[in-house]
Amino acid sequence: MLTQKAWSPYLAGIVIGLLQIPAFLIIETALGASSSYVTIGGLIASWIDPSVLQIDYVARHVAATGKNWWQVALVVGVAIGAFLSMKLSGASRAPISRIWQRALGSASPAKRYALAFSGGFIMLLGARIADGCTSGHGLSGMAQLAVGSTVAVAAMFAGGIAAAMLLLRRI
Amino acid sequence: MSLTLAMVVGIAMGIVFGFALEKSRVFEPGIIVGQMQMRNFIMLKVFLTAVATGAVVLAVLNGFGYVKLQPKAALYAADIVGGLILGVGITLAGACPGTTLAQIGAGYRDALFTLLGGLFGAVTFSYAQPALGKSFLGQGGGKLIFTDLIGIPYWIGALVLAAVIIVVLVAMEAWKPWRDELGNDVDGDSKSARPSSPAKIRAVAAE
Repeated sequence: MLTQKAWSPYLAGIVIGLLQIPAFLIIETALGASSSYVTIGGLIASWIDPSVLQIDYVARHVAATGKNWWQVALVVGVAIGAFLSMKLSGASRAPISRIWQRALGSASPAKRYALAFSGGFIMLLGARIADGCTSGHGLSGMAQLAVGSTVAVAAMFAGGIAAAMLLLRRI
Repeated sequence: MSLTLAMVVGIAMGIVFGFALEKSRVFEPGIIVGQMQMRNFIMLKVFLTAVATGAVVLAVLNGFGYVKLQPKAALYAADIVGGLILGVGITLAGACPGTTLAQIGAGYRDALFTLLGGLFGAVTFSYAQPALGKSFLGQGGGKLIFTDLIGIPYWIGALVLAAVIIVVLVAMEAWKPWRDELGNDVDGDSKSARPSSPAKIRAVAAE
C-alpha cells in the first residue's frame, strides 16, 4: 500500500483527520501550518533587523515554545513524508506541473516562478490576516464547528474560485 | 513539554501528514487549480473527509472530557478579507501553506518560490500587524462555536456535521468517482499525455 501511486481521497482524509488525536492530546493544539511561516520568517528577518522581535506578534511566534516549533517541525515533516511517499511509489515529477503551461498560456519557467512567489506572498498575507489557513481554519476550525473558521473557509473558496476563473486559463 | 519532544512529535506527525497528502494527490497543482475551476473535486473529498474524521475524533475526546477545544476567535472582517486574499494566493500558487512543503518534497521546483514568497508575505504581515490589529481587522467576537449558538453539547453537533459530510461525500463519489479524477500521471491532469519515460519528462521540462 505504501508503494501505491494514489490512495482513495477518503482513506487519505481519514489519516489526516486522525492526526488531530496527537495534536490535541500531546501538543494541546489543533493542526495548522501557516503560523510556522511567521516563526521562520520572523527568525530570518531578525538576523537582518533585530528590532522586528520588538513586535509582540513576532516575539510570540518566534519564542521557543513547544507549539511554535512543533508546527515548524510538522511542515518540515510534510516535505519529508511527501518525498518518501514519492520515492516508494517510484513516481517522478517534472520541475513544474504540466498544467501551468495551459493555465498561464506560457511555458516560461521564469513566469511560473514569479507567479509562484507572488502567489505564496499573497497566500501568507491572507492567511495571517485571517489568522489561519486551509489547515488551521479548514481542517481544525470546521471540525470544531468554529463560526469564524467557517466564514474564513467560505471566503477562501470564494477568492480561490474567482481567481481561478478570472486570472487563469482553463486547465 | 520539552521543545525537543514537541519537535520530534511534530516531525513524526508531519511525515504522516505529508505521506497522506502525497498519496491523496491533493498537493498537485492540477488538483488544487482544478478544484478552484470546479473541474476536479479530489481536494474537496480529502478536505471534507479530514474534517469529518476530526469532528468524530474531537466529539469523543471532548465529549469524554479528555481535551479542551481550541477554536480561533471569530474576527469576521479579518476572516472574510484574509480568507479572500488567501484563496487568491492558493489559486496562483497552486498550493496551500501546508501543501507547498509537500510539493517541495515531491520535487516541484516552483514550490521553492512559493515558500520564499510565503515567508516574505508572513514577514510583511508581521510588520503591519500592530497597525492592522487596531484597525477593523482586529474587531470581533470571542471563540464562538455553532453548538454554543443553539445551546447543545459540542459532541452532538460534531457528529451531526460528520453525518452530513458523509452523505455529501457519498453523493459526490456517485457523481464523480475519484479514480476518474486522478489524471493521466496522477497529477489531476487529464489533457497532457502520460510521460512515457524519464527522458521525455526532462524534454518537457527543458522546453
